[in-house]
Amino acid sequence: MRIADQERDDVLLRRAGKGDEEAFTLLYRRHQAALYRFALRMSGNAWSAEEIVQDVFMTLMRDPKKYDPARGTVGGFLYGVTRNRVLKHLERTPQREVSLEEKNENGTGPGIVLMDATTPAIQAEKRERVEQVWAAVLDLPAEFREAVVLCELEERSYEEAAQMIGCPIGTIRSRLHRGRTLLMARLEMLRDAPRRAPLPRQASVAK
Amino acid sequence: MTCNEFEEMGLDAERDASLTEAQRAAAAAHAASCSRCAALRDSWEATRLELSPLAEATATLDAPARVEMRLRQQFRTQYHAPKVRRTAVVAAWGLAAAVVLVGAMSWVKWSSNRQNHVAAKQDSPASNQGSLGQNADDDSQTLVADNELNDFTLLPGVLPAETDGSAILSVRLQRGALGALGLPVNEDRAAEWIQVDLLVGNDGLPQAVRLPE
Repeated sequence: MRIADQERDDVLLRRAGKGDEEAFTLLYRRHQAALYRFALRMSGNAWSAEEIVQDVFMTLMRDPKKYDPARGTVGGFLYGVTRNRVLKHLERTPQREVSLEEKNENGTGPGIVLMDATTPAIQAEKRERVEQVWAAVLDLPAEFREAVVLCELEERSYEEAAQMIGCPIGTIRSRLHRGRTLLMARLEMLRDAPRRAPLPRQASVAK
Repeated sequence: MTCNEFEEMGLDAERDASLTEAQRAAAAAHAASCSRCAALRDSWEATRLELSPLAEATATLDAPARVEMRLRQQFRTQYHAPKVRRTAVVAAWGLAAAVVLVGAMSWVKWSSNRQNHVAAKQDSPASNQGSLGQNADDDSQTLVADNELNDFTLLPGVLPAETDGSAILSVRLQRGALGALGLPVNEDRAAEWIQVDLLVGNDGLPQAVRLPE
């Protein structure tokens, strides 16, 4: 039986829980991109982001009853699981500089394409700058980074971000403020520093 | 609005939907009057401009196709393999249940037949009694035969032997004739006629004697 594209997530999840592969696949396709991007922007590592997304959907597959409709949407639940996995990953993995040239096992990179890079020289310069900005973002403490990723990179509203993280808007605003301050200082330093200078490690900020 | 409030709320006043119009106006007024906060806002705008290429560069990324492939494979393993296993388990349980059922039915049938047999016996007491009487007769005949044989007294010099081919011969003779068979005889009653049963063997010779009262 074909599944309508607009079928609700919780209906798809229920069907997937009964062994409907098509429902599970549709659910995966709906949410994988957002979760992958979040994991990638937070970790700076395509391989880790891939593992995290896979792990999240494995969890959903093995125990679909973990999702409680009374507590929110399937998307919110998946984001929550992804967030937990990302934070655990960040706890146990030392940060490293991101590289847009990075290749995965099978030779493919994160697939990042820089738009409007007219010439190779400009493209290289832009790529370098994006790498630096991303490294600066990754250098933020996880909770500030999360606020910056959600509100600045994913352009979510404060309400959405607060709902996803499960905290008041004031907390989001506060984390964003501190994240921005650190990020601005970092990028100011980069603007002044000679190109290709190694990024000094950010002093730890009290969480 | 103070500088601290501006830093926390005013930098992104246009995007922050939770702010009221009055708060937005206050933030704009503060930025217009405070050069430090205006510089901070400009710095943040520059930072946002630097963030936008990163946001654009990662905006269209998807998880690699192999993730979906792995997940679907895992899904099939999880939901289809147990189904086969479940079928096998159900079949095994079905077989076991069938065996138990057949056993139970056999027992019930056997039990029913047994009860019918007993009931049939109870329903026909006469025939049972008849058969019992016949059995009693048979038993008494056997007893008689046994008694007949048991009442005999072996003649002196005769060893106990099988009596399959023997015959009982009833004769009338004088008591003194028993002396010829080796039995003691009262001389005072030697001329008395008595009825005697003789157990005659295959060889035609008397082996035992019985004196009916």
